[in-house]
Amino acid sequence: MTVKKIFVCEDSIDGIFTAIYDAWNSRHGHTNIRIELQSEDGSVNYELFSEYIAVKTDSEKASKVDRSIKSKISQEAYEYVFTASCSDEKEKGDLIYRFLILGFSMGSSVVNYLGNDIVSKIFDMNRNLNNEVHHYLGFVRFHEIENGILYSKICPKNDVLRHLAPHFSDRMNTENFIIYDEKRKTAILHRTGLSWVYTYADNLNLNRLEQFSVQEDEFQELWKVFFESIAIKERQNYKLQRNNLPIRFRNNMLEFNNDKKFR
Amino acid sequence: MSVIIQENMSVQKKLEILSDAAKYDVACTSSGVDRKGIAGSLGTSVASGICHTFSADGRCISLLKILFTNECIFDCKYCFNRASNDIVRASFTPEEVCDLTIEFYRRNYIEGLFLSSGVLINPNHTMELICKTLKMLREDYHFNGYIHCKAVPGADSSIIEMAGWYADRMSVNLELPTTESLKQLAPHKSRKNILKPMKQIQLGRIESMESPIFGRISDKKLKSKYLMQDELEDNKAMVPEKSSVLGLVKRPAINRGFVPAGQSTQMIIGATPENDYQIMSVAEALYQKFDLKRVFYSAYISVNQDSNLPSLTSPPLLREHRLYQADWLLRFYGFEASELLSEQRPNFNVLIDPKCNWAIGHLEQFPIEINKADYYTLLRIPGVGVKSAQRIVKARRVSALNFEDLKKIGVVLKRALYFITCNGKMMYQTKIDENYITNQLISVKERLPYGIDGGISFQQLSLFDDVNFSAPNLQEFKSGIG
Repeated sequence: MTVKKIFVCEDSIDGIFTAIYDAWNSRHGHTNIRIELQSEDGSVNYELFSEYIAVKTDSEKASKVDRSIKSKISQEAYEYVFTASCSDEKEKGDLIYRFLILGFSMGSSVVNYLGNDIVSKIFDMNRNLNNEVHHYLGFVRFHEIENGILYSKICPKNDVLRHLAPHFSDRMNTENFIIYDEKRKTAILHRTGLSWVYTYADNLNLNRLEQFSVQEDEFQELWKVFFESIAIKERQNYKLQRNNLPIRFRNNMLEFNNDKKFR
Repeated sequence: MSVIIQENMSVQKKLEILSDAAKYDVACTSSGVDRKGIAGSLGTSVASGICHTFSADGRCISLLKILFTNECIFDCKYCFNRASNDIVRASFTPEEVCDLTIEFYRRNYIEGLFLSSGVLINPNHTMELICKTLKMLREDYHFNGYIHCKAVPGADSSIIEMAGWYADRMSVNLELPTTESLKQLAPHKSRKNILKPMKQIQLGRIESMESPIFGRISDKKLKSKYLMQDELEDNKAMVPEKSSVLGLVKRPAINRGFVPAGQSTQMIIGATPENDYQIMSVAEALYQKFDLKRVFYSAYISVNQDSNLPSLTSPPLLREHRLYQADWLLRFYGFEASELLSEQRPNFNVLIDPKCNWAIGHLEQFPIEINKADYYTLLRIPGVGVKSAQRIVKARRVSALNFEDLKKIGVVLKRALYFITCNGKMMYQTKIDENYITNQLISVKERLPYGIDGGISFQQLSLFDDVNFSAPNLQEFKSGIG
């Protein structure tokens, strides 16, 4: 009986790419390898007859994988893989590995191989993440704090921050803003006229960020007034509203604060 | 005319009144133009549009939708703001509109501004106010986001043109599908006055895309690229031949193009006796002859008491839904109105969506082989949408597709299975028979937008029923006559 080799890596694109690099190099046979993500508390559900290998994230190994995807498959495939790595799918490490095995043998046409289970799963993850990104483009709410800085807090299922950043930096290039992912404790920082930065947000002073500027209350009130008066009561349809704007997005949206109309 | 004007009204009160007054306007899309940010300006536009929230009626909110003023000299029977209604009147100042837009935009509440207005004093005065607000927003506040404004019928073409240089989208509301209905319910508006600015905007768009300088493009060029001979005659009638199509104003320094996101219009559905076939034919003509981006259909809501108006207890939402589905078929699926409806069968079926309905009536064109049919043929299959058709075309380059693959691609097989083959085989042995398939498809419950269930709308639809929607007709339909 062959012993299964399970590569346990960090939940990040570099972590997954390092694991793929090591797995490939182990020459253990693709069927006998699995890539697994470290859980947040570091615990592992050990399986019998398996060897667990802890992968130490190595940016050099990762960038080698990065380069070979771009040169041997395509830029498009790379983008699919990058987006998949931000998904909240637990199996994503192994799925990306399988997708790349296929990609290195098929070349750029792998992205059209939708009949294949692995490819279609990678696509589902992409679709799921991109849908969430699209939702957040509209559902992100900023409030103004002192010095006119805009601050937003979100709690997304997938790791969408880096997909949101280009949109908001372009749109609000005249503003200083912060978007904070409260689940992952990461943030995007943008300063007027500069490009955005992605960072761990352990040292953000959240208390200060929750303080409103002088005129903030007024505009929040105006927005709520508008939100109420624009609805047509003859067409009232809370189910449709919930279908279009699921409740999980509403926590950080001020027009739904104190909303007792959840149905 | 009774007008109550309150001095020193707060912005909040004005917003309450003037957004409430604007809510019946359907267009809230921010789509149609992709525009990157400009250093030093606030805002971008995204072609697909972005919904920022959804109101209690489930409709998308993407724009700050307001009237500039709800004072109006017109007395359209269906409109809440008509001159003869005794309501509180309010007007914004251009600064107030700009502040609201910018501050809402910075907080990511909205994608831009939708500015409509009652007709204050006269059409020119109103259009000037709209234009002034837009200019201020673009030039003083450096706003680069989306702006949709109305072209007020009857306003001077030079003011309409100026607004067109600042706006992304403009719309002139058709209000009602036929001239007679318009005469009856909107006595101050005429078909000609509505179509003239529509034509002006269309020609302006063509001119601004064709050539960067002013001056009329030769008829020949227009004709060859965009227009038919008979329309050219229409143009001459509507736009004086010697002058430029546009009103010849000096365009603003930051050139975003002339109405780059195109124009739209809306019709009220259910206030007048037109049937679906008439409505779709009007929409089709607007798409073809005026190059509109969207036609919106607005289920009539009774806000006024008037002997000329029907008394509906709730808006005909299912009918509106069917019209939107059919509109989609016109714009993206290559259908023509005359394929979907006819004089003999002038209304959509409540039980089945327009595409299924069409397919059942054209069984001779089926089954379609998934691995061979071209894109537009694929689009005609019930259960196959634009996205799945595109995916099919892509995926079958790699390998022949079977039913399992189609499922993964997103084809709704329970609808499609009667109309397709994969590699020469149907999914199940099934009768190719109108009655049989109709019954099968009716039993597959269609996912309607929540709240639009048969119940309410069924009654509403029969208000002007000449055909189809009553129970006996349902039997007829099921037995294949309908």
